[in-house]
This record gives sequence, C-alpha cells and structure tokens, in this order.
Amino acid sequence: MIKLENVSKVYKGEVIALHEASCEIGKGEFVFLVGPSGSGKSTFIRLLNREEVPDKGQIFVAGKDIGELNSWKVPYLRRNIGYIFQDFKLLENKTVAQNVAFALEVIGRPRHVVKTQVPAILELVGLSKKMNNLPNELSGGEQQRVSIARAFVNRPLILLADEPTGNLDPATSVGIMRLLDRINRTGTTVVMATHDRGIVDTMRRRVVELDRGVIVRDQARGVYQ
Amino acid sequence: MAMKIDYVIRETGSNIRRNITLTIATVVTVAIALALFGIALLVRQGVDNATARWEGGIEFVVFMNVESSNAQLQAVADSLDQSPEIARTVFFDKDAAYIEFRELFSGSPEILETVTAEDLPPSFRVVPVDTNADAVEQLASRFEASPGVREVVSAQETIRNIEKFSNFISRFVLLAAVALLLAASVLIFNTIRMAMFARRNEIEVMKLVGATNWFIRVPFMFEGLIQGLLGAMAAVGGIFVLNGVFRNKVGGPNGFQLVDSLVVANEDVWRTSFLLMVIGALVGTIGSAVAVSRFLDV
Repeated sequence: MIKLENVSKVYKGEVIALHEASCEIGKGEFVFLVGPSGSGKSTFIRLLNREEVPDKGQIFVAGKDIGELNSWKVPYLRRNIGYIFQDFKLLENKTVAQNVAFALEVIGRPRHVVKTQVPAILELVGLSKKMNNLPNELSGGEQQRVSIARAFVNRPLILLADEPTGNLDPATSVGIMRLLDRINRTGTTVVMATHDRGIVDTMRRRVVELDRGVIVRDQARGVYQ
Repeated sequence: MAMKIDYVIRETGSNIRRNITLTIATVVTVAIALALFGIALLVRQGVDNATARWEGGIEFVVFMNVESSNAQLQAVADSLDQSPEIARTVFFDKDAAYIEFRELFSGSPEILETVTAEDLPPSFRVVPVDTNADAVEQLASRFEASPGVREVVSAQETIRNIEKFSNFISRFVLLAAVALLLAASVLIFNTIRMAMFARRNEIEVMKLVGATNWFIRVPFMFEGLIQGLLGAMAAVGGIFVLNGVFRNKVGGPNGFQLVDSLVVANEDVWRTSFLLMVIGALVGTIGSAVAVSRFLDV
C-alpha cells in the first residue's frame, strides 16, 4: 500500500527531516510513527499526502510513484487518503453535519450520497445526537471524532493521523484510539504519528521509530521505547 | 467535472456579501475606467464621421447654392478642371450628398426625416496638387466669388483643428482609462486575495480532502468576473445617458453644421458597449485569476 525507497527530505538545505528512509506498509496495517519532536514524523506523513515532495528517493502509494504525479492529479490521490490532525481543523461556522458534508460536496459527490453517508458516518463515530451543533459547542474528543468522520466519510484506503490525541486527556484518547482501531479493522491502512507512550504500549502494533530523520527501529507488535 | 452551478453561485454570493465595500469600490473604478474608455472611442468615431468627406487628399470643398442652375455648376466645374494647380475634382450632386448625409446621420432618424435630397447643396470635392496650407487657402479663395457658390470650406480651417483637438482629447482620455483599468485590476486582485484570506481554513480543508484546483478556483474567478461585468454594465449605462444628452443638445433638426456629424450612430454605441463588456469581463477574470494562482499555491 505504501512504500518508501531511500527517501530524503532536507528543509532549506540544512535541516534534515528525513534521511535515506526505506519502509513498506501493507494494506490494512496499523503503524505508529514515534520519536522526539523534529525527528521527521510529520514530514513522513506530509510526504505520503504529497504536501511535500521528496528531495531524493521514491514514494509509492497504492502502486503509484507519487513523486512523478502531475500536480493536477494530486487531488485524486488525496481522495484515497484521510487525514486527521492534532488541532482538528474543523470549520467553526459550519455544524458537525455540514463539516462532514463539506468534504463530500467539494469532491463533487452527488447530493443523495451526501444525504445518506453523513448520518451513517456520524452514527459510526457516535455523534448522531450532535450533528447540528457547532464545533465550539463540543468537547475536544468530540471534535476529533468529527474530524475522523470527515476523513473517513469518503472511505479512503489510507488514514493518516498526525498526533490525533495530542490535545486530549488520556481517557478521551482511549476512545479515539478505539475508533481508529475500528476503522483499521475495516481494511483501512492507518499511519499515526504520536508521542503517547501509553497508547503505543497498550495497542501493541507495528512501531517505526525515527531519530533525526533516520529510521532507527521497525518493530512488529512493538512498544514506545 | 462535477462542478455544480448552484455551488459556484452560492459561494460567490457569500464572498461578495462578506466583502461588500471593497466590491463596490472595485465596481465603481471599473465603471469609471470603462466609461472613459468608451467615451474616447466614441469621440474618435464621431470625429471620423465628421471628417469622412476629407478623406483621399481632399483639401477643400466648394459648396454650391441649393438652387444654383446647371449653367452655374458647369461653369464652376470647367474652371476647376482648367486650373493646373488642381489634381482632381469629385462632383457630389444632390443625390450623392443625400447618401453621404444618410450615412452621417444614420443614428438620428428624426433628422433624416426632415431632410430630403432637394434640401442639400451639391458640391465639388477638390484635391489640389500642392497641399501646403497657404497654397490651398489661396486656391480655394479663387472660387468663392463664382456665381452660384454658397461657400468654400477648406480642411485647414475646420477639420484639421478638430482632428488635432480630438486626438489630444482621446489620447489623454485613453491614457486615463488605461491607468484606471490597471487600478481596477489591482483592486480586483486585492478583493479576491481578501476573499481567499477570509476563507483560508475552508480552502485548506478543501485541498486536504481532494477538491480539484479548479473547484477551489472557480468561485473566486467568478467573483472577479462579476465585478468586471457589473462595472462594465454601469459604464455602458452611463455612455447611453451621455450620448442621449449629447444628441439632444447638438443634433438639432435644422443643422447642417459640422458638429452635427459628430453624433455617432446607434450601432457604434452598441459596438462600443459590447467591447466594454468584453474588456470588463477580461479585467475581472484576469485580475482574479492572477490572485488565485498567487495565493492558492495548489
């Protein structure tokens, strides 16, 4: 599903974000990216979404070399990739349902699809009762659920998560992880960058550790350290 | 591509509402610029109409009296033909004068109705060998006293001055119009930039979930197009009002004065209006397209 071959990325010619990284992630895998701040976790994720282009090496997503991708094709790549963030990135002036519907409308999905998919996905994340609330009327955990619903409503092949529990308390984080686990079990590949030792140690999934841009550990059913 | 028209209209509408003051400023600037541009074009057209009879090297016209006899016409024709200083003479009888008159006043049916071929003076259009102003003046004056001649009008006295004046005016106005159009496109650029800044979060999400670049761009470019077209429409309205006023003041029913022929035909006004709409649309679209490609970074 995802393959990196000797990928290097250097910012402004001096900050090494990723150095000769090679890694293969199969369909349906759940992978934690761990490492200290500045170790290249976010760059790893941004490269998969083609928010960044590698300086060296090749990246394959679903069999396609995305470094070779024409820029007009990038949106179609991203339709196969869901993306969630530490800070949720919800639109404050839209309701929960509108936030999720927006993701479908702007990629041109017909209205009847929007009408049926939005309630279904909100049911899945447990927010059916709050679909007409605005984001600032929700708790942090609920907001992250909305953002997961938005990322997953299009049934992407891959879900990228950049510190999705970074702003949440441990109990809420567990709920979010349950949700991601459930999504993973539908066959969606999940790549999650995190600092959360507790989560990694409890879930016992594959762990890829980065240190100053170098992959120093790649362990199945691993722990944080 | 699955681009929904109602989506574009809704997005553009809310952009414009959010930014109403800047939109008004932009539309007014576009309107003034295009109105000036249109006026310059129409003045030029009017001058072309007024100077049409001076084309082809014709330097003076001998107008005969309306009731002059054939013998008088023949005498003047002979003396023109026999002058070695004259290269060529074209005789305009009443019918030819009427055809020309109809062309010049095609935009003013009320004038056309009151004049028939019988009311118009026949004339000789003269091309002299030497076009030096003094020589032409001297030559022209020789025919003033001939029997049946109403007046001799030479290009120097009237047309050349009008042409110079109108060239100056239309050049100055065109320059101002171009400067204002530039200002207008910068304003459009800025309005779109602000609209995009106001929606940067939405744009970010749209990019993340895989909206195509055109899907993101089109509402903003449509906004620029609307601003350009609204400005052009205001300019066209202004030009029609001005033209009407000008025609009422100048185009009296009993005039065969030069300034009458400055009145332009309706077709010219329509053609100019169409041109203004096209320019307005272009300025709007280009201004917003530049803004979108600069700040979208897709």
